[in-house]
Amino acid sequence: MIRLHRLVNGFGGPAGFLGALIVIALLVMAVGAPWIAPRDPLLVDISNQLLEPGGQFPFGTDQSGRDVLSRVIWGTRASLSVSAIAVVIGMAGGVTLGLIAGFYRGGWIEQITVRFLEAISAIPILIWAIALVGIFGVGDMRVGPFVLANEAKLMILLGLLYIPTLARVTYTTALVQSQANFVLARRLQGTGGLRIMVSDVLPNCLSPVIVQATLLLAIGIIIEASVSFVGLGVQPPTPSWGNMLADARNYLMSGEWWISVFPGAAISLAVVGFNLLGDGLRDRLDPRHAAAVLAT
Amino acid sequence: MASLFLRRAGVSLLSLLLVSLVLFVLTRSIPDSPARIVLGDEATPADIAHFDADHGLDKPILVQYFRWVGGIVFHADLGKSFTTGLRMNDQVANTLPVTLELVMLAFVVSVVVSLALGTMSAVLRDTPLDYGARLIAVLGVSVPGFWLALVLILFFAVDRDWFPPGGVVPITDDVYEHLRSLVLPAFCLGIFYMAVLTRMTRSSLLDVLGQDFMRTARASGLSRPRVLMYALRNALVPVVTIAGMSFGHMFGWALIIEQVFNIDGLSHALLQAIQQRDYAMVQAVVMVFTVVFVVANLCADVVNASLNPRMAAAA
Repeated sequence: MIRLHRLVNGFGGPAGFLGALIVIALLVMAVGAPWIAPRDPLLVDISNQLLEPGGQFPFGTDQSGRDVLSRVIWGTRASLSVSAIAVVIGMAGGVTLGLIAGFYRGGWIEQITVRFLEAISAIPILIWAIALVGIFGVGDMRVGPFVLANEAKLMILLGLLYIPTLARVTYTTALVQSQANFVLARRLQGTGGLRIMVSDVLPNCLSPVIVQATLLLAIGIIIEASVSFVGLGVQPPTPSWGNMLADARNYLMSGEWWISVFPGAAISLAVVGFNLLGDGLRDRLDPRHAAAVLAT
Repeated sequence: MASLFLRRAGVSLLSLLLVSLVLFVLTRSIPDSPARIVLGDEATPADIAHFDADHGLDKPILVQYFRWVGGIVFHADLGKSFTTGLRMNDQVANTLPVTLELVMLAFVVSVVVSLALGTMSAVLRDTPLDYGARLIAVLGVSVPGFWLALVLILFFAVDRDWFPPGGVVPITDDVYEHLRSLVLPAFCLGIFYMAVLTRMTRSSLLDVLGQDFMRTARASGLSRPRVLMYALRNALVPVVTIAGMSFGHMFGWALIIEQVFNIDGLSHALLQAIQQRDYAMVQAVVMVFTVVFVVANLCADVVNASLNPRMAAAA
């Protein structure tokens, strides 16, 4: 009992724990899709078109007779991978910039970084993500020896657009941490600046960054779904929650509700999960920090 | 106050310049030149050279960029589309009003509702009303607007005939029908920010109400509503900043909402331009949106400076 209590408190209370459970379930679905999904998500079966949920097809079938349940499970992969890799890219760039600017405060490095961040935060994220995918063209793109699928482009763009948010969070914390007494103590010991920055200041800046990253994961899922919905994200036949909803739009009037309801519910569940986890982690790791606010 | 405004305006102008340069260079660096897109694969090099000369594409890229920016700044001219030959100004003038109206409506409603809901939630903390407001806030940030749109269309437009399933009736035809056709899109667009702003108002107000000067104010005999007014004035600063950003971001989400409801707005035009690979149009629309975004943020700064004079003094 006490162990369970501790575990729940580790995620900032019951809500955060529930969020963690949802996120873990989604991760399992994304990784284990080939084994969990009852059918092939791409298998077209005209004899089973537009079946209502029930029996063999718990979530029904779509206009090509594909199993909606299996497509929702496989869609987890597309959504989570875009969102997660974007956050990793954003963290790599943002934490580095924010840390350097906060640690070497008062110098030209700080000035340049802060101005740069100010300039790119003047960019409305979603419009730019859509416009940039549009400019580079939908479909595979060749960059030297690599071929970037559309999803990869979206991940990279989204990651770049996350940089300012994460950099700002890191910067404000690093600014305070760099003036703490333990940093001074390390300096007196003769430790080099770079070393102090990486091994002493950085670990102390991570709490708010982790909280913010969790919330950005939720936003990433919505953005991926939205961009795929208008046909610029994950391309059919690969299932994603967003492009499933785009298909479902054509069957709205004729009453096939299950094609639109299940993928949408999956998006909402995922977003609720990451939001609850993020809020819980904030209570746990960073209770005094006000919500460093949403980036979209 | 004036100096704060000027400083912020200067920074905004600089970032707009930077943003426009990045946008311009990106649209010019795609492998397919506009001439190829318009003339097709059969075009001879001579055709392409002719096309480039006609549209000024043979000049160095910086010259092209300064021409474009010069056109915008000195003649308020966004240029012409290479693919359709239409003037961008006309395109924007035709499509911006409906998007603007939609966003304004969604923005005003979500700000008013979230202030009321957030204040109520903070004042009546830990009552059923507070729990209700917080639940709405959690649902609002979690349910994607375009999915909500699909569900609401199904429920209110297909099953019942309460609202039209899409399109906007021109205001010149019928004012009532016009507003009725905007209800669902505006609601779906605003719900996310309504939720975000409600949460912010609540937590920010709770922060302020917990501070010592609030207790002092009460102890010195100020009435509760009066104290609440002072608290709100202080609590609103972060809310106004986020509201300013939300206004700009709503234009982005409007793209999705306009797609669902078949509204011929500016966001819709952006999507069309992308599909037709009309990069000059993409460039123009993104520039317009970015200007709106920057101006909205600037307005938020000004409102904040008037709410809290110390911020102006610090600048």
